Amino acid sequence: MTSDPHTSAPSGAPPTLRTTAPLTKTSPPPDPVAGEHDQWHRTHRPWSARRLPAALVAAVILVAAGAALVDVVAVRAGRPAAAWRRHLTGELGTRPVDDVWMLTGAAVATAVGLWLIVLALTPGLRHQLPLRTPTPGVRACLDRDGAADLLRDAAMQVPGVSTARIRVRRHRVKARADVRFRDLQQVKDDLTAVLHEERDRLALARPPRIVVRVRRRTD
Amino acid sequence: MTPRTVLNRSLLAIAGLVLLGGGLLILFAGLDIYRRQALDPPADWPLTRPDDVLLGSADRAHWSSQGWWWWPAVIAALALAALLALWWLLDQMRRRRPGALPVGGTPPQEGVELSGRALSDAIAADAGALPGVEHAAVHITGRPTHPRTRVKLTLTPQGTPGATLNALCQGPLPTARRSTGSPDSPTEIRLQVARHKPHRAQ
Repeated sequence: MTSDPHTSAPSGAPPTLRTTAPLTKTSPPPDPVAGEHDQWHRTHRPWSARRLPAALVAAVILVAAGAALVDVVAVRAGRPAAAWRRHLTGELGTRPVDDVWMLTGAAVATAVGLWLIVLALTPGLRHQLPLRTPTPGVRACLDRDGAADLLRDAAMQVPGVSTARIRVRRHRVKARADVRFRDLQQVKDDLTAVLHEERDRLALARPPRIVVRVRRRTD
Repeated sequence: MTPRTVLNRSLLAIAGLVLLGGGLLILFAGLDIYRRQALDPPADWPLTRPDDVLLGSADRAHWSSQGWWWWPAVIAALALAALLALWWLLDQMRRRRPGALPVGGTPPQEGVELSGRALSDAIAADAGALPGVEHAAVHITGRPTHPRTRVKLTLTPQGTPGATLNALCQGPLPTARRSTGSPDSPTEIRLQVARHKPHRAQ
C-alpha cells in the first residue's frame, strides 16, 4: 500500500495506536434484523484446523508403516518374520469375511471412516458463536460460556429474579429464572426484554431465539 | 482457511474414504449383499462371497513372485509413508510465526521490516487498554508475505462484545494495518468473558 506512507512505522518501533470509539453500555450496535448489510458483515464460524484428529491419524499411520518397514527389512536381511506379522497373515488368510471378528472390524473401520469424513467437511468449533464485524476481512466469534455469563448478569438485574440459569446453544438461548417477589408474568416480560437487549449487544451474526421460563420460589 | 487447515482436512478426508471403502467392501461380501440384492460386481472385484478371505494363499504367491523389484518397492513405499506421516504429525506441533514483516505493501520497501512480535505486542497493548477488556493476547502467524492476526480478548463482566469489537476494528486493527501497509491481512478475533460469580440484584 503506498497511499499513506506517513503512517508507516519504522523498524523495531511499535506504532502508536489510538482509541477513539465511545464505549458505553448505552450505545449498543445496530439492531441485527434491521438490514445492516452495508456496515456489518456477517461472519461464519471459523474452521477448525483439526490438529488433534490429524495428529492421531498421522501417529497411527506412522506406527503402522514404521512397524511394517522394520519387519520387511528384517525379513529381507534373513531374519524370521515377527510374531505379530505371522499371526496377522495367518488370521487374514484363514478367517472368511463373514467371521464375526472380520465383520466387527469392518463395521468399526466404516464408522471411523465416516467420522473422519465428517470431521474433514464440517467447520467444528461449535463452542464459538460468530459475530457481526464492522470491517471485511475481520472474523470474530464469542465463546458460548461468555455469552451465557453476560446474559445471566443481565437477567440478574431484573427485579424479582433471585437465580438465573442460562443455556446458550447455537440457535436457542434457554433462560430459567427463580422469582422471589413481583408478579410472575411481569418478571417474565421484563426478563424477555432485558435478554433481547443484551443479546443485541452481543452482536451475534445469527441471533439465537430466546426462551424464558420463570418459576416462583417460595422458600 | 490456512494452508494447514486445508492439508489436514484433505488428508483426513482421504483417510476416511480409504477406511470407509475398505470397511464397506468387507461388509458387503461378509453379509452376502451382492447375492441378496442381485447385484453383479465386476469381474475382478476382490471380495464377493462370504467365504472369501482377505489374504488368500493365491494372493500371497502372486505378490511374492513379482520379481526382484517388488520388495525394494515395498520398502521404499513404506519408508515414504512413514516419513510423510512423521512430517504430518510434526506439522501439527509447529506454529508458523513470521520473524519480521515487510513494511510498505507490495513491492515491499527495501530493508524496512517490522518484527512480528513488536507488532503483536503493540496491538495487544492497545487492545488491552480498550474499556471492557481485561486481557488481550495477539499472535501473528503465517508467512511474512501473508501474515494472519489472531486476537484473543478476555472481556470484563461489564464488557459488551459488540461495542468492543467495534472499537477494536476502528482503533488498533486499522492502525496496525496501516503500519505494515498490508491492508488485507486476515484477522480472527476470539472473545471470551472472564469467569465470575453472578451478581445479586441490588
